[in-house]
Amino acid sequence: MDFDDTPDEAAWRTEVRSFLDHNQDRLSVRTNDRARQALLYDAGFVGVTWPIEAGGRGGTPMQQAIVDQEMSRLGLPGLINLIGIGMCGPTVILHGSDDQKQRYLQRLLRADDLWCQLFSEPSAGSDLAALRTRAVRENGAWRITGQKVWTTLAHLADYGILLARTDPDVPKHRGLTMFVVDMKAPGVTVRPLRQMNGDAHFNEVFFDDVVIPDAERLGEPGDGWTVALTTLMNERLSLGGGGTTIGPKPETVARHLAGHIGALPADRQALARQELGRGYVAALGARYTGYRQLSKLSRGEFPGPEASAGKLSGTRSARDLTDLAVRVLGGDARVAVSRDGTGTWQTMQAVMPGMAIAGGSDQVLRNIIGERVLGLPAEPRADKGVPR
Amino acid sequence: MNFDLDQEHRDLAAAAAEFLATAEAPQAARAALDGDAAIRPGRAELVKSGFAAITIPESAGGGGGSVLHLAVVAEQAGRVLAGPSLTGFARAAVLLDGDPDRLAGLADGSLAVAVADDTGPVLDAIGADTFLALRSGALTCGPGQVTAREPIDATRALGDVTLGDNPPLVRDAAALWQRAERVGRTILAAEGLGTAARLLEIGVEYAKERQAFGRPIGSYQAIKHMLVDVYVAVEQLRSLVWWAAWAADHSPAELPLAAAAAKAAAATTLEQAAETVIQVHGGIGFTWEHDAHLYWRRAKVDRFLLGDDIAAFDEVARLAMEQAS
Repeated sequence: MDFDDTPDEAAWRTEVRSFLDHNQDRLSVRTNDRARQALLYDAGFVGVTWPIEAGGRGGTPMQQAIVDQEMSRLGLPGLINLIGIGMCGPTVILHGSDDQKQRYLQRLLRADDLWCQLFSEPSAGSDLAALRTRAVRENGAWRITGQKVWTTLAHLADYGILLARTDPDVPKHRGLTMFVVDMKAPGVTVRPLRQMNGDAHFNEVFFDDVVIPDAERLGEPGDGWTVALTTLMNERLSLGGGGTTIGPKPETVARHLAGHIGALPADRQALARQELGRGYVAALGARYTGYRQLSKLSRGEFPGPEASAGKLSGTRSARDLTDLAVRVLGGDARVAVSRDGTGTWQTMQAVMPGMAIAGGSDQVLRNIIGERVLGLPAEPRADKGVPR
Repeated sequence: MNFDLDQEHRDLAAAAAEFLATAEAPQAARAALDGDAAIRPGRAELVKSGFAAITIPESAGGGGGSVLHLAVVAEQAGRVLAGPSLTGFARAAVLLDGDPDRLAGLADGSLAVAVADDTGPVLDAIGADTFLALRSGALTCGPGQVTAREPIDATRALGDVTLGDNPPLVRDAAALWQRAERVGRTILAAEGLGTAARLLEIGVEYAKERQAFGRPIGSYQAIKHMLVDVYVAVEQLRSLVWWAAWAADHSPAELPLAAAAAKAAAATTLEQAAETVIQVHGGIGFTWEHDAHLYWRRAKVDRFLLGDDIAAFDEVARLAMEQAS
């Protein structure tokens, strides 16, 4: 056990830090997301763990974690193509053809193309395998009809990975196939959905007779569920794995509280410290559990379902800490913007409920951990073995 | 960075588990509670095994090991409700650091040391003959008169201690005392980790076996999710315990926050684990006959040792605000 950087890690950190410090201004401009990512990619700091032939650097998870840590230290905005890097890209690397890899991967890392993940549907959320979007084989291609929903970034994306039903006559997990879809293809309609916090980061996507060439299939027909599991496994890591924080950094909340606690009556001060202490301990627990996962990953072990624990605990502490941060605003907590013109915490408060739903709801994650880690018997499934 | 146990730690944990298997827990905890047996493995056996003296320097007859070494042993001790607590040995090893003779006595068992925190009942006072205490800023050491108290958890051997006018061993010992307390909190949390992890196993095992409405109760989300929440809390506690132990060995600046976080998380997690496991068992979990209450007793007592969880959360908050500003 050792928390310090190895000499190699220290050298890498110096290299990363020096680049980030030097380019801090350009990397802070929030108006040009693609350019920021391209600048970082060209310097070798995007897709660090990806194989070299996939446009990556062939580096270690620890090197990637160091890039993330150093960016977070400077408060730099995150990458635009996170879903592509975390989920779509790894799926193409594992299941795509050489031609697909050639065409897509490097452009994805540079944010020349943005990617989205087309999984959830109006009637298939937690029960993803119940999805209804149909793909019918026609003249060596596939014709897609159906609807996806909650698709982050679809309004900007150039490509997406799409899970569709190719065989309705077999039980639900077996009739699915994964594709790469061109989001600019005829018949694709994207309608932004406004979230409860006012932003519109996710979308509805309609497919009306969209044609996908067979060469854009990822994996064999009927293997879509297995392919999707690869994607979701990678998702676990990018959400709450590897020591990254979900929601506000606990240090940020502590600093905020330090600035406000003096204005509270003594009994409220004691209460606020209890709440900060509880949220902070949970956040530290999630962070250090993430470091343990990162260490496992560095030894070449693949993230198991236990990685979902980080998302559960990280979400809980983020909600509690955000609630505390809002509470100490006093009267300003009743309105969206404080007297000083900021509304950071009021906004954050409205983002939090989504954290416990996106990327696997808390309840589904508990099922997964209960069944796959603790070995508890499965939930009853009324539709098991029934064709769609 | 490599945040995981090394092979040497795993081997040590396995050796400790093997030794502690002779403790016959939780039967020993039950017998002690019934009042007709000593706690196991007991001070003499624990000293003889060498595990109690892990953090005492080799020059004084100890193991010359790290706090992390002791923490992985403490986790195993917690699993079987072993007594006396390794917390006392860990604290005494820090407090007696400048006193080779007494340190040797601690290592060879000729001194049976307990650490008296305040005027309340003292952990492992029963069976101790030498008491360390902080009086007017000085570390005192000497005999005391012990009055046993009616136990909630008999394995903690709590008793009131009346100290004589013991001479000061170290003047201006406040900082030393604080470090010892933090190391002690870390080891106490490691024992709590072991107890909570064992409780989780008991709960999961029962949820797989017990049938209701024609299915194992562990297939119902109401039961499953409660157990998962315990699992998540236990894994977080494990991370915090390892971090605190590492900080005690290598990073004094991180120890205050890490030890307070580990202590607080151990108190809440162990309580959550114990009460969940009783609930999962239903009526049988509430009986004297079932073992669940033996672990539950540990939870209800440990949360008030070396400061309570409220104090630990408060300390975390104060340190966090101090460091962030």
